[in-house]
Amino acid sequence: MIEVEALTRRYGDFTAIRDVSFSVGRGEVVGFLGPNGAGKSTTMRILCGCIGATAGHARVGGVDVLERPAEVKRRIGYLPEVPPLYGAMVVEDYVAFAASIKGVDQTEVAAARALERVGLLDVRERVIDHLSKGYRQRVGLAQALVHDPEVLVLDEPTSGLDPAQRREIRNLLTELAAGDRTVILSTHVLAEVEAVCERVVIIDRGRIVTTARIDDLAARRHGVRLRVGSPSEGLVGQLRAIDGVTEVSSSAAGAFEIAASTEVRAAVARVAVAADLLELSALDSLEDAYLELTGARPDAGETA
Amino acid sequence: MKAILAIARRELDSYFATPLGWVALTGFVFITGFFFTFFLFQFNQYAVSAGYDPYGAGAADLNEVLLPMFFGNWMVVLLLMCPAVSMRIFAEDRRQRSFELLLSSPVSSGAIVLGKFLGAMGFLAVTFAATLYQPAVLYWLGAPDPGVLTGSYLSMMLFAACCISVGMLASAFTRSQIIAFMVTFAVLLVLFLLPGLAEGASADWMKALGEVGMGAHIETFGQGLVHSKDVVYFVTFIGACLFATQQKVESFRWQ
Repeated sequence: MIEVEALTRRYGDFTAIRDVSFSVGRGEVVGFLGPNGAGKSTTMRILCGCIGATAGHARVGGVDVLERPAEVKRRIGYLPEVPPLYGAMVVEDYVAFAASIKGVDQTEVAAARALERVGLLDVRERVIDHLSKGYRQRVGLAQALVHDPEVLVLDEPTSGLDPAQRREIRNLLTELAAGDRTVILSTHVLAEVEAVCERVVIIDRGRIVTTARIDDLAARRHGVRLRVGSPSEGLVGQLRAIDGVTEVSSSAAGAFEIAASTEVRAAVARVAVAADLLELSALDSLEDAYLELTGARPDAGETA
Repeated sequence: MKAILAIARRELDSYFATPLGWVALTGFVFITGFFFTFFLFQFNQYAVSAGYDPYGAGAADLNEVLLPMFFGNWMVVLLLMCPAVSMRIFAEDRRQRSFELLLSSPVSSGAIVLGKFLGAMGFLAVTFAATLYQPAVLYWLGAPDPGVLTGSYLSMMLFAACCISVGMLASAFTRSQIIAFMVTFAVLLVLFLLPGLAEGASADWMKALGEVGMGAHIETFGQGLVHSKDVVYFVTFIGACLFATQQKVESFRWQ
């Protein structure tokens, strides 16, 4: 459904994204993960035709965004990081306006449907500026949904919300992702990716670092980090022999990372004691993967 | 087309959702109303004294003296009001990030510019409509020429359209409303004064420069006459400004 090919975007001397490629299948829900300033928003804005690309292609449903933007925009619903609201407008008028510039025929009907979808029917006659942040975010979602797009692109839909609002939006996203709608959402809340997405694309400093299925990352869930004082020659072999262990890697002398499909800590401990066990801890799959891949800079992985 | 009208409608509504729109509207009606009353009394005195003068009868003609004087004054008021109306057109959209809605919708930059221009013109049309009590008073007191009146209102709309198109261009170039206002006002003031400056000039280039000003083309409309060269002037002027604005808006994608 979405194909991004060698996308590059420069702002003067600054390269926001470099050679970004990934693809998303129809009906897939993909999380776009990365620290602030990694290029998530830039990629999304190019995908939605808001800005141009210096090089590369982005296609939605086989149509090139840069060549035929209008056609693509009709198929995409986009919620930017700051919802694009006209604060002085009444909620239902705003959504109807969004419907009419997106080429919807029956704007009133479409607006009412979108408002119902995001649970805003009871505030539809209120002025947008008077709504809470969570409600404003929903108005932004209603705008993105009003033309019933095949693809939803959501840029940090839960940022700046309180935990209750965040959960509501997350539930809403799960609902919206049902069916064969394709969803891309960016976030730096890892729990959100695990709750909603099937796949993650991790981006850092303008480059794609990895794309992986959440299930694959979750397979690392029972991973163990191990440090021993006097590693023996056969230790790796002994660890590998433990039932459930799938992989053992060593990053430094005496430091091991063990991937496993079941709980293996007790068995690992028994083996490691003989080699002077110093430290043994469980790997938090996604967060560790994320920190590792993005270079674990101090500002990375911070939750909003 | 539907999208253009929707954008125009939203733009028009936005003027009435903010104090700026109401201040501009009431300010315009109040100031022109003040001048109207003032000129009416002045004209009255003039007409009475002209009545005793066998050669002065023509000088007291309502259509030839009062109306040009009156609408000439409108232009000065519009020179200040139009930049205030146009300064927020792009600046506000970009400040509150609502511009992303337009950019991510299947509407061209041309449609955005045209829609916003029509919206601002709609606001001016409403403002002008609020002054219609003035011609009504004239009909009650005397016999104004409907051709002159219609032509005058039309010329004021065209004058305002020029001002708004210049203002939109300025608004597309800066996020600061104050800068947009000042630049627009400066450009309009020069354009407004050009014909007067070029009047006594002998050099051809100065005469040509005088033609660039708006005043030279508005006069004939005020006499109830529509010359094709003036129509060409206005279409070219407004078209050029809107085209430049569209180009600038298109370039937002590359900033």
